[in-house]
Amino acid sequence: MAFVLGIDVGSGYSKAIVLEEGEIRSYAVIPSGGDYREAGRAVARTALEKLNLTFGDIARTVAAGYGGNMIDFADDTSTDISCHAAGVHYLFPSVKTVMDVGAQYSRAIRLDDEGRIANFIMNEKCAGGSGKFLQVAARILGIKVSEIGELSLTAKKAVEFTTGCAVFAESEAVSRISEGASPADILAGIHNAMASKIVTLVIRVGLAPDCAVTGGGAMDIGLVKAIGAELGTGVFVPDEPRITAALGAALIARDTLKTS
Amino acid sequence: MAEEKKGRAVATSTAAKIPKFVRGNLSATLKAKEEGKKVAAAFIADGQDEIMRAMDIVPAWGESFSGVCAAKRDAEKYLQKAESDNFSRSLCTYATCNIGFDMMREELGGATPEGAPWGGMGRPDMMLGNGQLLCDPRFKWPQATQHYQQDVPVFVTNMYYPPWDPNADHHEQEAIYVKYAADELRETVKFCEKITGKKMDWDRLAATVELSDKTWDLFIDTYELRKHIPTPMDTGDAMNTMVPLTFNLGTQEAYDFYVDLNAELRQKIADGVGVANPEKYRIIWAAGLPSWFALGDFQYFNGKGVVFPVEVTYRGCEKIERLDLPKTNDPLEHIAWRWVRYWTHWYDAAKKRPGSTPKVERIIEYIEDYKCDGAVFHSAFSCRSWHAGIMQQAATLKKVYKDIPILIMEGDIVDISSYNEADTHNRIDAFIETLAASKKRQG
Repeated sequence: MAFVLGIDVGSGYSKAIVLEEGEIRSYAVIPSGGDYREAGRAVARTALEKLNLTFGDIARTVAAGYGGNMIDFADDTSTDISCHAAGVHYLFPSVKTVMDVGAQYSRAIRLDDEGRIANFIMNEKCAGGSGKFLQVAARILGIKVSEIGELSLTAKKAVEFTTGCAVFAESEAVSRISEGASPADILAGIHNAMASKIVTLVIRVGLAPDCAVTGGGAMDIGLVKAIGAELGTGVFVPDEPRITAALGAALIARDTLKTS
Repeated sequence: MAEEKKGRAVATSTAAKIPKFVRGNLSATLKAKEEGKKVAAAFIADGQDEIMRAMDIVPAWGESFSGVCAAKRDAEKYLQKAESDNFSRSLCTYATCNIGFDMMREELGGATPEGAPWGGMGRPDMMLGNGQLLCDPRFKWPQATQHYQQDVPVFVTNMYYPPWDPNADHHEQEAIYVKYAADELRETVKFCEKITGKKMDWDRLAATVELSDKTWDLFIDTYELRKHIPTPMDTGDAMNTMVPLTFNLGTQEAYDFYVDLNAELRQKIADGVGVANPEKYRIIWAAGLPSWFALGDFQYFNGKGVVFPVEVTYRGCEKIERLDLPKTNDPLEHIAWRWVRYWTHWYDAAKKRPGSTPKVERIIEYIEDYKCDGAVFHSAFSCRSWHAGIMQQAATLKKVYKDIPILIMEGDIVDISSYNEADTHNRIDAFIETLAASKKRQG
């Protein structure tokens, strides 16, 4: 029995998963903060401690994400795009289109039948389709990011934003608050604006069912519903969408171990 | 303040001579006055090169200087200067960087601003703009600059070619466009004669044009050596080795440079020396100007076994015999035919493939000839005219050719605020994984 470790050091959160025989044994999620090297080590240690394991018990470690290259104890690195692909293919083998909504970036990834990347695209330096937009919305409305999803589902009439730009939408949201729009209607409008941006990426890589949403943004039920509505189809969401890339990294570690 | 960054190491020793060319062109503009020569602010690839060279006019290449500022990561002060007078950041950053520099120089009474990269550029005696389909700022940029240099006369040479229309017979239209372009070039000569006070030496012009033709041929012969596997030179070097063709056309130095490069590539092929060892994937740089501040990214590709044996960018010439130019004794008419046919000679091929376009057809031909596995496009946000159709080109390529892996990078030519190295490398890594998956699917 060999344990493998997958780590995804994202710009917002760091995630680690321990796999054994292809089964998830433990995982951990912590804020990345300003030291990616330490965040990677800390999140891995947390996941290992849940199983009373040490780094010495791990047969192979693969790191990914924004700070993946800084994880000096990893045996290898992979891109978070490949890791998302591998993670989603493991969870939902029928999925061909993945939308990853991270803290800083969103991506659309097309998979082939074997779960390999066929095409991908990322948003550019733009918060419009990323989790940053949700953080901005939460700040304006004085609520927690985790409260956004449920609250947005109570919307009566989603505000129509004239822009997909998070910066301009912030000032527009303030105007709508002063006009009496409810927080729920504003959040539903923000979800629609984000979904439009994300689906634009999907169209560029080519939409192919089934679809899945991953990353921290997938924890927002309102955003997931808006994406589904924009796509005109239902979407799969992992139980813990933030750890999908870490899962993929662990699967890559497992597969490498098998072939080595 | 400039951000010091280690420059990109070139793969060929011939390419290492390029900084001398670029510095030489810049310093020529600063020394022109003491040598009794006139300086013309000029633009690349617009048919005016030989006229300037034959009349001893020193070209001041704004695009080159802005590229140098970008490569030195020292353009921000000029961009901000232009922005301070309401030039938007979304305008061509070659133009705004250069205009910002010109504004500073005018404030100093014509003296070069302190700290200008590679010594800066001299004040022009004239500005030769260009109206054509390639780049729209070329007729507004000199007019905008004239706000600050009101005594410097501007002449805009209009060089057009038949627009692509799959239902039109461009061969019927070519002669009209050639006549128009030749007439424009004749007016350019008159303008230059007026400013310099010298008459054109037509025999010298004819000899200069002949030398340019030879340089075009040698350039293509040399670049076609890159078809070899492993390729002896890739786009990282080509973004340097384009300088003599692009900025020194019509000079013996440019021709001699490609003689040397040709010999070096032949030697590398004979010795089995490639850019990457092993060479895993061959990619076409399918469109777009590079981010001059991030040329090191080509080495990042190379380090992972990815090479670019061919690029569309700065391949601004073709073998003369392939253009089938009508015979003429008028050097200006020859330049006009060469200009028009350079663009239209792709039209016939594009017509044979339903749904294709000349730009896409060119990419397909290069993919086939250079045995490429994928394509990289770079979309520079501030260069609208060159980059606006990139998404469509990529989509058309997949539709009319095949579903090859494509990476579309988005950034800018000069404005480094568009760039994030970690993010760019992440995209490149994912693209390489896409290439690997594609090869596996093909078995």
